[in-house]
Amino acid sequence: MSIKQKFKLLAQEKRAGLIIYVTAGYPDINFTEDFVQRLQEVGVDFIEIGVPFSDPVADGPVIQACSQKALENKVNLESIFNLCDRLKSKLSIPYLLMSYYNPVYQYGLEKFARDCAETNVSGAIIPDLPFEESAQFRAQLKKFSIDQILFISSTTSSERRKKILKVATGFIYYIAVYGVTGTRDFLPEETYQDVARLRDQATIPVAVGFGISNRQQILRLKTCADGIIIGSFVMKEIMAGHYTYLLDTLKEFHRILKNPDEKF
Amino acid sequence: MAKLPDKKGRFGIYGGKFAPETLMAPIAELEYAYFTTGTSRQFHKELDYYLRNYAGRPTSLYYAENFSKEIGCKVFLKREDLAFTGAHKINNTIGQVLLAKKMGKTRVIAETGAGQHGVATATAAALFKLECEIYMGEIDMQRQALNVYRMRLLGARVNCVSSGSRTLKDAINEALRDWISNFKTTHYVIGSVVGFHPFPVMVRDFQSVIGKETRRQILKMEKRLPDYLVACVGGGSNSIGLFHPFYNDKNVKFIGVEAAGKGLDTDYHSATLCKGTPGILHGSFSYVLQDKNGQIHPTHSISAGLDYPGTGPEHSFYKDTKRAEYYAVNDQQVLNAFHVLSEKEGIIPALESAHAIAYLVENKKRFNPDDIVVVCLSGRGDKDVNEVARIEGVQL
Repeated sequence: MSIKQKFKLLAQEKRAGLIIYVTAGYPDINFTEDFVQRLQEVGVDFIEIGVPFSDPVADGPVIQACSQKALENKVNLESIFNLCDRLKSKLSIPYLLMSYYNPVYQYGLEKFARDCAETNVSGAIIPDLPFEESAQFRAQLKKFSIDQILFISSTTSSERRKKILKVATGFIYYIAVYGVTGTRDFLPEETYQDVARLRDQATIPVAVGFGISNRQQILRLKTCADGIIIGSFVMKEIMAGHYTYLLDTLKEFHRILKNPDEKF
Repeated sequence: MAKLPDKKGRFGIYGGKFAPETLMAPIAELEYAYFTTGTSRQFHKELDYYLRNYAGRPTSLYYAENFSKEIGCKVFLKREDLAFTGAHKINNTIGQVLLAKKMGKTRVIAETGAGQHGVATATAAALFKLECEIYMGEIDMQRQALNVYRMRLLGARVNCVSSGSRTLKDAINEALRDWISNFKTTHYVIGSVVGFHPFPVMVRDFQSVIGKETRRQILKMEKRLPDYLVACVGGGSNSIGLFHPFYNDKNVKFIGVEAAGKGLDTDYHSATLCKGTPGILHGSFSYVLQDKNGQIHPTHSISAGLDYPGTGPEHSFYKDTKRAEYYAVNDQQVLNAFHVLSEKEGIIPALESAHAIAYLVENKKRFNPDDIVVVCLSGRGDKDVNEVARIEGVQL
């Protein structure tokens, strides 16, 4: 299913989608393969599969540690595309790849885009590839109908926002906090207002990520965002082995998103 | 010849701005501040004042007669070891911290390998009354303990980085993470000609004082330009600072010397330009030491300041266009050069700078008696004395 189709379904259901990040290969690749299916079962709407990188400058300690472990397990784009190939028949929800640019660049931009298409990967998220540097990559993705997910942060000027919105497909990844990935108890007040404004301006859905881990945040975001992205919280619980707690929590988040009467 | 970098921060295909979206606004803010304020006449007047009266510039260009006899050509040492705090790093930090102050920032952060850039940043921060925090790899903190204490004396907080390879690369990662979180109050003083635009051009411009002075000095002393410029290359700031003002003098050959560590055929070196391939690290497209999957290699060098798997985009451009030649010397050759210069000239070089010296010692045949060779003696070796003693098994 494409990202667009999925958001269309979510719009019909009048609810925000739940997007979950997992580092591929943590603690090992078989776990990842099994776990994303559990995520689908508890109602997760999109999976973001993280490609490990040696120098993840936009990530906090949790994802750094998971990436390092995955690299020790010799996980690379080749093994991740093999994983995605196996997921083709197992996941009916869309899945995306999230990677720093260098592994993708060394793999080959065209080869990356083709392999995405062949393994049903619907989008690519590259945190260190801003709009200015991404035309070449986007052109390759476009050839194979893969979305490049572009970021907007509260620091993005209105002029830049216009340029980004003009070329963006799939959804906009709104960065909720200043800083790196990792859970925060509270998001800045301005985040909620800025997301609402951006959503009015954008013609594609807006998903919010970075720092999200609790029910209060979900309750507030569900009214202003089209998607909610959770990563470090998930990896932290996986690291601790709290699988049941994690899946129950995500099930609860899904329930909150589905219930229009439950408000902040 | 078009002026480089272009507006996008590209030196040919190298450079650019591969930054997370959150940083694009602070980068734009810095770009604006640098190309308006930072390049203004008023700013340079002020900068010159501090470089002259505080940092002790100009540094001398010294005809190293004894060492020249050893090599068989005329060797001049650009004495950056005489600059305040003991290395060329101060040229850049006074410039950047002064700019940060004018931008209204109250805090500066920096990464450091050998500790020289950390000390120079802490010094400038004390001078301009800004809060200062330094990131340093755990391994480097051990081998450069003296500099850690110097930074603390200067009022800086030194943060130990124990992620990844626990050296310079990881210190940069942590500093970038700090900057993403605190850019409203904080300027990130990058210590070399690396990172996203405008860092490579800004650091180059601040370090170009080395080459500009050298040019004036050699013309006065020898009435002609040198045949060779030789400098060590890690990130590449002292070398670009020396080379760049001679860029259009096509008869002046540039030689960059990297760290071959335990040997170029081993995994223990930091010779990015000799052995690396183009890739993206720390915000720019440049040569990088990496595996086939694009993961960055751990590096090794006897000198903490060269222990880095990337290099400046302008060096990558010089390499591809053959404007500069790049070689590497190993740890043993460096130790030998460290002793040779100490004994022949009474100058103890930093282990980083000893790489440039080692190239001459190992390649005497290349040079003719009339050749004029300028070597950038980028730093003094006091900081390395303990480490050299340890390596050579000397009890102090």
